Amino acid sequence: MNIDTLFYVFKTQILKSLAYKFDVYGNILMQTIIMIASAYFWKALFKNASSIQGVTVETMMTYTVISSLISVLLTCNVERRIMKSVEKGTVAIDLMRPVNIFHVYFAENLGSIVALIFQNLLPILLIGSLLIGIPAPASKESLLFFFPSLLLAFFINWFLAVIFGMWAFTAISMDPLIQVKKHLIRLLSGSIIPLWFFPAWLKTILKCLPFIYLYQIPLDLYIGKYDKASLFQGFMIQIIWVIGLYLCYRYLSSRVSKKVMVQGG
Amino acid sequence: MKNAWKTLFHYLDVTLYCIRMSILTIFEYPAMILGWVLSNPIQFIVGFATIQFVVNEFGSINGWSYGQLAFLYGISVISHALSMIFFVQGWFMGFIVLEGEFDRYLTRPMSVLYQFFFTNINCIGFTDLIPGILVFLYGCHKISFSWNLANVLLILLLLIGATLIRGGVYIILGTTSFFTRSCNDFGQYTQEIFDKTTMYPISMYPESLQFILTYLIPIGWVSFYPVSNLLGISQKGILPIGNPILAVMGTLLAGILVMIVSGTFFKIGLRRYESAGN
Repeated sequence: MNIDTLFYVFKTQILKSLAYKFDVYGNILMQTIIMIASAYFWKALFKNASSIQGVTVETMMTYTVISSLISVLLTCNVERRIMKSVEKGTVAIDLMRPVNIFHVYFAENLGSIVALIFQNLLPILLIGSLLIGIPAPASKESLLFFFPSLLLAFFINWFLAVIFGMWAFTAISMDPLIQVKKHLIRLLSGSIIPLWFFPAWLKTILKCLPFIYLYQIPLDLYIGKYDKASLFQGFMIQIIWVIGLYLCYRYLSSRVSKKVMVQGG
Repeated sequence: MKNAWKTLFHYLDVTLYCIRMSILTIFEYPAMILGWVLSNPIQFIVGFATIQFVVNEFGSINGWSYGQLAFLYGISVISHALSMIFFVQGWFMGFIVLEGEFDRYLTRPMSVLYQFFFTNINCIGFTDLIPGILVFLYGCHKISFSWNLANVLLILLLLIGATLIRGGVYIILGTTSFFTRSCNDFGQYTQEIFDKTTMYPISMYPESLQFILTYLIPIGWVSFYPVSNLLGISQKGILPIGNPILAVMGTLLAGILVMIVSGTFFKIGLRRYESAGN
């Protein structure tokens, strides 16, 4: 019964996302501009060098397109969703419902991502292939590794977002924190500038943080920049992050709902 | 004539009062100010650091040295900060329209255009100024920029023009909400596009894109044209000007034009406005 409810939430969210047509075109246009600007940024840099850090300009083009696609799949509004519902007080009603509120958020997120696959991901893939170049994976094998890694990245992203969002229950203004997280992910995950260009000390720090496991690891697999050791290590650390964040989420979610109920009583 | 002065002073009075109000509001949440004071500088300083990694690897970006890029980045962030202080409402117009907030402007006895532009002063924008000024001064130091009166004046005019261009574009984008009646939340993408086109020299983009950024959406004038001419950089993209004064005037002119267009568009949009709130 629970699954039916969540499936209904999922379906409603898809329909909701389809309601605003102008937003869809606007988003595609803007994301396309951003992607093309990135592509030409790398093209300009590689003008005088055929390969840097073992990467050619063609690989960099693939990297740019796939990074744009991953950013669509890692769209997650759960922090803002929690923040708004706490601000407006609707969270009290949400918690009273006989479904786990976090499952509802997850179903909503899945719904909007399915809508985004048709609204953003496919158009951007098409435009990217036409204007920048078809983003072919390095090999069949690397494509095979890419998808599980992407799935793990999705879960890391979701748990991170929901754990951040839970802070909103304690009525702290979350906006600055969400911004910091968003920008750190944007700048330090390898989504714009790959990790290879970072100095060694920063690489070491970033390997201990979750950000690069969102973009860099799946992207490395896709473009075939990995060996057996790094492949194994990447997957292991991704799995460890998923498990760690999941446990953290379980612990916090039980505490958070208690806390809100106390306030309501 | 006397009446006109009176109106002007009245408007000034209201503006000052709104500024005071907005300062008081942010002091209501001290923890939030601290959050913004930390978060906005982090964003731009980390962003600036990543540019350094790229420059270290490649030597230069399209012929621009690290100091010159810092100068460009600084101008870009300072104008971003100023536009956030004065024109951030463009980003939130979708919400203002959708949630019926706009009705409040309509019921007040002052011009809607004035109210929209001048009663939303966002003091949090000042936190963006800190990293902007830091990076800018670092860039000035690196390229040993000469601080004579003419240059100071040019930079001030350039910042005014750049802020107007940014603000105008935000408001044009926000005004689309009148027509579509939806929350076009383009803030994030707008910023990302502005980052990509004002923090790096646009001469590295293909000529078609440069043409758009020069003549259609004059983002190139925010930082690239004035800065490249001020610093005398040889790669000038599709429009070689060669004179810093002319380039800065171009920025100012572009800013005023974009503002006029956005004001007109806003007025047209306002006629289409139907309250959507309750």
